[in-house]
Amino acid sequence: MKKLAFYGKGGIGKSTTVSNLAVAFAERGLKVMQIGCDPKADSTLALRGGAALTSVLDLVRAKQPFTLEDMVRIGYKGIICVEAGGPTPGSGCAGRGIITALDKLRDYGAYDTYQPDIVLYDVLGDVVCGGFSMPMRGGYADEVYILTSGENMAIHAAANIAMALENFKDRGYAKLGGFILNRRNVKNEDAKVQELSEDFHSRVIASLPHSEIVTDAEELGKTVLEAFPVSDMAEAYRKLAAAVLGEDALC
Amino acid sequence: MNTSYRIIPCYTGDVSGVCSALFELGGMVVIHDPSGCNSTYNTHDETRWYDHDSLIFISGLAEIDAVFGNDQKLIDDTVDAALNLHPKFITLVNSPIPYLNGTDFEAISRIIQQRTGIPTFYIPTNGMHDYVPGAGMALAEIAKRFVAEPEEKKADSVNLLGVTPLDFAADGSADALRDTVERAGFSVHTCWAMGDTLETLSHSGEASVNLAVSAIGLRTAQVLRERFGTPYVVGTPVGAFSETIFSAIRKAVETGENQFPLSERLHPTESGIFAIGEPVTMGSVLAALDLPGTVLCPLEDCEALLNPNTLSVVGEEEAESALKDANVVIADPLYRPIFPKGAKVIELPHEAFSGRCFRKTMKDLFNIDYDALRKEASL
Repeated sequence: MKKLAFYGKGGIGKSTTVSNLAVAFAERGLKVMQIGCDPKADSTLALRGGAALTSVLDLVRAKQPFTLEDMVRIGYKGIICVEAGGPTPGSGCAGRGIITALDKLRDYGAYDTYQPDIVLYDVLGDVVCGGFSMPMRGGYADEVYILTSGENMAIHAAANIAMALENFKDRGYAKLGGFILNRRNVKNEDAKVQELSEDFHSRVIASLPHSEIVTDAEELGKTVLEAFPVSDMAEAYRKLAAAVLGEDALC
Repeated sequence: MNTSYRIIPCYTGDVSGVCSALFELGGMVVIHDPSGCNSTYNTHDETRWYDHDSLIFISGLAEIDAVFGNDQKLIDDTVDAALNLHPKFITLVNSPIPYLNGTDFEAISRIIQQRTGIPTFYIPTNGMHDYVPGAGMALAEIAKRFVAEPEEKKADSVNLLGVTPLDFAADGSADALRDTVERAGFSVHTCWAMGDTLETLSHSGEASVNLAVSAIGLRTAQVLRERFGTPYVVGTPVGAFSETIFSAIRKAVETGENQFPLSERLHPTESGIFAIGEPVTMGSVLAALDLPGTVLCPLEDCEALLNPNTLSVVGEEEAESALKDANVVIADPLYRPIFPKGAKVIELPHEAFSGRCFRKTMKDLFNIDYDALRKEASL
């Protein structure tokens, strides 16, 4: 079982990229579980075709007995969709919520029962507190991938995340698998992200083009690979999947 | 408010449960908590504190360290103390603030172990549960980490599991339990965890049967079953019920199957007779009194012990409601405010519920004349 966590600045395209990556893995015959680690509980929307999914923390909040199946929705191409959820906006502690949700998944035997080949943790924004570092802790993700564009704020957030991983290196946390450039077509974009990766002795494993087809698929409530399977963008996501699996250094 | 406690106390917490379970094993217990003294966990909940050395520490978590997630002070202080005191192991215990902060105790344990070379592990308490899961997890962790593969099984030997002053507080209780079991012709191999060292406990795999005398012992029994195939029996050998327990031990040896003699006592629950508290000891006391009745279990981590004679209750209101038609109640004296008027009462003080309030009248469950107790209560 390969466990991967995806971080990056809010709005950089993590959920879109992770969902397309999940489909690309599923196309290869792999069993994929995608876990949204964000109180908004919207990571797996494009995989569920509009079907509702109660978040883990909403189930906990109801204080009624629930089962593992209640936490899960099987989405497009058999992808196992889970949303951690979070406290009521403006109250509680979202980070603690992520910990509780991931603990519940483990306690209910989610990994043993579904036995996915690949688990994808789609994590909210930055590593702002202990809770959001949970997916990179021992026993969770093996590798962390950081999405960034060439925009300064995105690079700054990516550097913070990479720094957190460096700080935790004596704790047995996940390793930095690399950076994923999600293009915004700003000046010197390649050079800036390349420099970032070199600062952390890492690499840029993929460069995803800025394409309207991503928005078009989103409007349809689908991933690019489902809505436009024969497109350059779909191919870019498939190449990203290959790179994550170590088959290709750069796409 | 229906799970709150207004007029009766709540039970000893999970953190104290860990401290109590590990008190005599030579390990260092570090509670990551702001408390400036150890009184809550030790002097209030620990009867042995004044008479025995111990290695229980509070980290003294400061507000600013909690806000900034500064774990380094905990790591450095623990390493420093451990290198001076040479404990046999180090246990880190969580409390509400680091729990809500999401402090990564597993990682901190690894770092401390690397720096000291001393086995270090974490017990996932949070101060919001009662003593049963805390003590149960602590002993189970000892069973996972320190019990060696046995070279041979020793015939008729028994490990006593789940023995702490929180359930067996009267002076001499642990010794009386040993004597009771040995008089029946069994050899007490180890006692978890009063009166034996960590080294002694490490030989527990050699015993032919495990006897969980309280709910605390169940997790350890399950670990030893999984690791060495040792069958276990759940029950406390008190009064005439001892013979049933001893028969169950023999049956466990013969069949290799776990035995639950309390579940076999199928009595109607409409008798109006209730015992309240830890379900293994109280169920066994009811059996020793030869009374049909129901055990009200207000404790956590007891799901596997519930049987037709047991009713789980959460909070004071639920307990009071369950007792509304009680004619006879066997319980700690501090439960009196929720007894119905006119109910006959047999008082059995329970350290985990009333602490030191009734130390002078604390009864040794293994030396009670249960027939006399019945007569005393005019039953």
